[in-house]
Order: sequence, then structure tokens, then C-alpha cells
Amino acid sequence: MRKADVLEVFARFGNDIALRAVRALPDIDGILDAREIDSLLLAIHWEMQRLAEEFYHGHRVWELVRCVVTALRESGFERTIRIVDVGCGIGYTTRWLAANIPAADYGIEFIGMDLNSTLVAEAKRLANCEKLPCSFSHQDAFHSRDSGHIFLSTGVIHHFRDDALLEFLKRHEQVETQAFLHFDFQPWLLAPFGSMFFHYLRMRTGIARHDGVLSAARAHTARTLVDAARKSAPKFASGIYGAKIWGTPAPRVFHTLVGVRHAIVPELRRELGVRVSRLGELR
Amino acid sequence: MTLLILYLLALLDGLLCGLRTSMGRSALIRKRAYYTRAALVGMIGAQIVSTLALVALIVAASFSSERAALRADLEGAAGRMLWIFLPYAGLVLFNLGLRLLPSIDIRSATSVFMLGPLTAVRPLIMIVGVLNGLSGSRLWATRVLGLFILAMMLSLEFALNRRSARTQSDLIRELV
Repeated sequence: MRKADVLEVFARFGNDIALRAVRALPDIDGILDAREIDSLLLAIHWEMQRLAEEFYHGHRVWELVRCVVTALRESGFERTIRIVDVGCGIGYTTRWLAANIPAADYGIEFIGMDLNSTLVAEAKRLANCEKLPCSFSHQDAFHSRDSGHIFLSTGVIHHFRDDALLEFLKRHEQVETQAFLHFDFQPWLLAPFGSMFFHYLRMRTGIARHDGVLSAARAHTARTLVDAARKSAPKFASGIYGAKIWGTPAPRVFHTLVGVRHAIVPELRRELGVRVSRLGELR
Repeated sequence: MTLLILYLLALLDGLLCGLRTSMGRSALIRKRAYYTRAALVGMIGAQIVSTLALVALIVAASFSSERAALRADLEGAAGRMLWIFLPYAGLVLFNLGLRLLPSIDIRSATSVFMLGPLTAVRPLIMIVGVLNGLSGSRLWATRVLGLFILAMMLSLEFALNRRSARTQSDLIRELV
């Protein structure tokens, strides 16, 4: 990729911080040095995993996935449940689940998919290092051949805007798919400032710092996500999970766009138990 | 006793520096051995700083014509430093303890509201603590020694970070 092309994109947005970060990237005769970029990408994703660890993201995901899996079982779903992590990066969520959850006991399998081959190769390497029962694939997660029963993602959905968001959610409407859980930053007044402070404190690479702030600033509101899901994927009952802390007005850092087949909504509510209060209107 | 507490706090700081500089540099899931090693490296770093401080103290004492006064002055300075360092360390340990509670919200809140900001103010706390300790000292040897230890402790995280960065960079170079 030509460095000038990337600079032109950010110049169009008037994003000076991004421009500085791109200018600092190594290139060979104007072409970004692929090896250096891959190295940087790995360093950034290792750093991002640190934040996921610090915020116990694996626990957060399993808390909800477990309820969906059990609800599916209660509603008569007997086959092995394929849980696909969309845009998995280096596969932290998938690997955490594989390392901590007895997949065989629940009759589930964990698969991570991403369009970046370097990140997928790293996810595979890390899973192999620890002999984790999960797999990774360099492909479009919504390809019907490998359809997931549950799709989940972390920090992915804010990358899709307007029609692209509708299209992304529409692709969940597959025969096999039973539910989707998209975890993302929750936008509120102080989120960009909090994100800036925290990313500057915890991240070491300029791109990771800036990306974290941009993600918080670009995160979709609950209303945008729910409206888009209900419009694009009407076969699912959609709503937001975990927006507020303990019923107070204080927002959580992450909220989750939840979509489940209408038939399993009662089971899901039952499985959530006391946590059902965290679930917004699901329709 | 005050010098011993200060020494233990330096080891704790080294341990946490070791952990902090190793975070985000390994993407494995099971990292107990990795973090144990990082904590040990941090403590060894703090031990090296403490040993150098002890050597400097011995040298200062051996050249001093008023050893008893120097010792009293040092203990006084150390006592005043603890007024800053002990509450800070207590806050850090309390918040790390809160992370044992099985609540994702509480654990996340400790990071956002306490551990993050506490990490940010660490250099400031060290400077304020040492200056507070030296503020009432009478002897130049105490002041020089205090500033020497401050410089060493501030350099510790920097040195550990460089070490971890080099290891990470080597590993990534092998991968790509």
C-alpha cells in the first residue's frame, strides 16, 4: 500500500494525529513496509489484549454466552453450537473461552474469523502454543458455508456506519444462526476523555492510543444499534444488555447488542436470572 | 524500622513495575509463569537499587564525622517519606484486593477509577514523598542520598520497560 494514499485518506478527515502516526510508519520507496506493518499490528493487538484482560472481557462474554447457550438447549437445540467470533483479531475472546470453558460439556465449539491473515496466523500460533480447543479462519465470518449458531464480536460493530451497519446486521439472518452478541464501547459524554486518559496510560504505540480514542468517539448509541438490528434482522428479537451499572444511571464501559430468535426469548430471560434487569427491551 | 519499611515498599514497587512493564507484551492466555517471572525481575531491579542505596549509605557514613547524627537524620527523612508512600501503597493494595471480588463491574471500576490514575501519579508521588522526607533533613548527605534513590527508583520502570520492549521486539521479529 502506498503511504501517500493512506496519508491522503486521513488528510481528507483532517485527522492530524493519524497523519503523524502514518508519517512515522516505515516505507520502502513510498510503499509501506509490509513486514514492519505486520510487526506493528501484532504489537498493537497484544496491547489491546492487555486491556481486555484488565477489564475481564472473557468473563463478561461468557456471562452472556452461557445464558444464550443454555437457553438454546432449553428450547430444544441439540446440535453442537458453533460460536463464531467475528473480526477476532488475534482471537483473545475465542482463546479465553477455549481455555476456561469446558466446551465439550456444553456441546459448543469456538471459532474465530478475521479478514487479516497476519492476525489470524498469530491467533492460530497462540492457540497452538497453549493447545487450546478452538480454531481460526482467515475468511468472511458470514459465509453461509461456515455459518455460526452464535455470532459475537468485540469492538467491531462501530466500524460499520449507516448502510454498512444495516448490511452487517442483515447478514446475521441465516438459517443456522440463533443469536448474536456484539460487545462494543458505550458512548457517553466522558467516554472519549476517559478513553484518551486510559489509552495513553496503558498503550505504548501511537496508533493504539489514537485508535482507542477514536473508537470511543465513534461508538454507536444503543438506539442506533437496536434500530438497525430490528430493521435489518427482524427474525431476531434485539435489545441492549448491560448498559447501566447496577440499575444506577452510571454507564458501563461496554454494552452489548443482543439478538436472539424470538422463540428463545423466554428461556434467555429465565437463564439470566437476577441479571435479567440488565437486559433492555428485547423485541 | 522505618528504613526496613521503605525497603519493603521499594520491593513492592519493583514487583508492580515488573508486572506493569510486562503487560501487553505476551498474548498468551495462561500467563502465571510469565507474570511471576516479570514480578521477580522487577523485585530484582528494586533489590539492585536498594543495594546501591545501601552502598551509597555506607560510603556516606564512612566519610561522615557525625555518624549518629546521619543515622538519625536518615531515619527522620525516611519516616516523613512514609507519610506519603504508605497511604499510596495502601490504596494500591486495597484496590488490587478489590479485584479479588467476583464482580466484573467492581474489577473494571478499580482499573478505571483507581489503579489507572494511581499509576499515572506514581512518579509524582515518588518525587513528593522524597522531597517531603528531605524537607526536614539537616545533613547534605541525607539529601544527596534521597535524591540518588529517587533517581534510581524513577529509572527502574524505564529500565524494566526497555528490557521488556527488547524481548517483545525480538519475539515479534521471529514471528513476522
